[in-house]
Amino acid sequence: MTRKVAMIINEMLEESGLEKVDNVNLSMSLRDDFNLDSLMLAELTVRLEDEFGVDIFEDGIVTTFGEVIEKLERK
Amino acid sequence: MDKKFLICAGNEYTYSQLIDDINTKGNFNPYIYINDNNPYWIFLSIIHSLIYNYSIEILDGDFSDTELKEVGVDTKVFSNYENITNRVKIDDYNSLLDKILMSKDWSLSLYTSGTTGRPKKVTHTLKTLTRNVKIGERFKCNVWAFAYNPTHIAGLQVFFQALLNQNTIVYTFSGQQKNLSDLIQKYQITNVSATSTFYRNVFPYLQGNIYKSVKRVTFGGEKYDPSLENKIKMIFPNVLIRNIYASTEAGSLFVANGENFEIPESIRDFVRINEANELLIHKSLLGNSDSFTLEGDWFNTGDIVYQLDSNHFNFISRKSDVVNVGGYKVNPLEVENTLIKVEGVIDLVVKSKKNKVTGEILVVDVVKDENYDEMELKKNLKRYATKHLQEWKVPRIIKFIEEIPRTRTGKKVRK
Repeated sequence: MTRKVAMIINEMLEESGLEKVDNVNLSMSLRDDFNLDSLMLAELTVRLEDEFGVDIFEDGIVTTFGEVIEKLERK
Repeated sequence: MDKKFLICAGNEYTYSQLIDDINTKGNFNPYIYINDNNPYWIFLSIIHSLIYNYSIEILDGDFSDTELKEVGVDTKVFSNYENITNRVKIDDYNSLLDKILMSKDWSLSLYTSGTTGRPKKVTHTLKTLTRNVKIGERFKCNVWAFAYNPTHIAGLQVFFQALLNQNTIVYTFSGQQKNLSDLIQKYQITNVSATSTFYRNVFPYLQGNIYKSVKRVTFGGEKYDPSLENKIKMIFPNVLIRNIYASTEAGSLFVANGENFEIPESIRDFVRINEANELLIHKSLLGNSDSFTLEGDWFNTGDIVYQLDSNHFNFISRKSDVVNVGGYKVNPLEVENTLIKVEGVIDLVVKSKKNKVTGEILVVDVVKDENYDEMELKKNLKRYATKHLQEWKVPRIIKFIEEIPRTRTGKKVRK
């Protein structure tokens, strides 16, 4: 799961011509460490929902990579 | 020489043959529902109804039984033929034309595309259908490339323009695109009327050639794509480009040179643009329908326009198409018109996806040239979008598809 989500984020970054993130850990902040702005967060939720059928923002705010994984695994 | 009326899938029908077939046809069905939308039988049926002055309802031959049921047509009616009691004999084209123009109570009903709910029936008179048809000596030698579904409003406009000037129609719709080059040369086609999508799809078959016979290229049926203009001028060096605003509800209303539509003198009092920049049409310009919702005497087209001066406007978008990304309104057509310029893109449709972060975001489905790599093209598209558009207008997710789904009247499906 962690690898799959990291891959999706990196694919997003690559398409946008941004630097990929190599060493991903669960405490990393989506905004500060992955440099995702709100449009990119919106993009991420849509991509994850397409892949896993889960809306990670459904019940509140997610800020770290770990929280995303947690939301996905909980379902 | 006997003038040709229609060329379709290798068959040539002359005006004499058309007249013979009309003279022979002794019965009729007011419902025109023809398998494969065979244009000869559709046109013959329309002309027959005009000669004998009975009203008809045109159904797209692509309608499934379910769709027919939805619009309230029982398939049993297709086998109910009525006999003609007072047969007339048409001698030649001129008497055919006289008979057609004498037709008084005739009407033709057809269906809107139903982008917003189920298709609505609209009934037109000969007057509303031929409002912008021009008849005269200088149109006599026109040869038309017919590139629309013959049961739709745009197709009917071209049909009447050609018929009333005794022109030849060369059917280039539905699988005939790849033959267009041969057809233009063989029949010396002078006029092409088609959607932006049609032009985009035939370019690969025409590129590198020059066709001097083509004098006029008309865009209709969907939003005009100005980026096609240069390509068209290279292929057709003698061409004049025009853009038509027509709708199933009102028929053909405005013509534009480029993107600036002119409101003709004759209908100036019947066209209005309200405070929200929506284009309103007076009910007197419309066909008849029980399904129109009027605001007073005015019909709201749902088209957002930009008024240039009292008689000119630009088309901006369909009201129902506007997407809201984090509070910013985005017109998907603007994004499409920008991204179509990226090399490797054949066609594309911009849509929205709902999410909890920004309400909606833009996504785009792209038909790509097979020689382009997916990731490279994705990067190029994003780079181009970021450079030329505000950031909320940049489509976030790019998917590659084989073909863009369309409604019956050729509008892109944005769902």
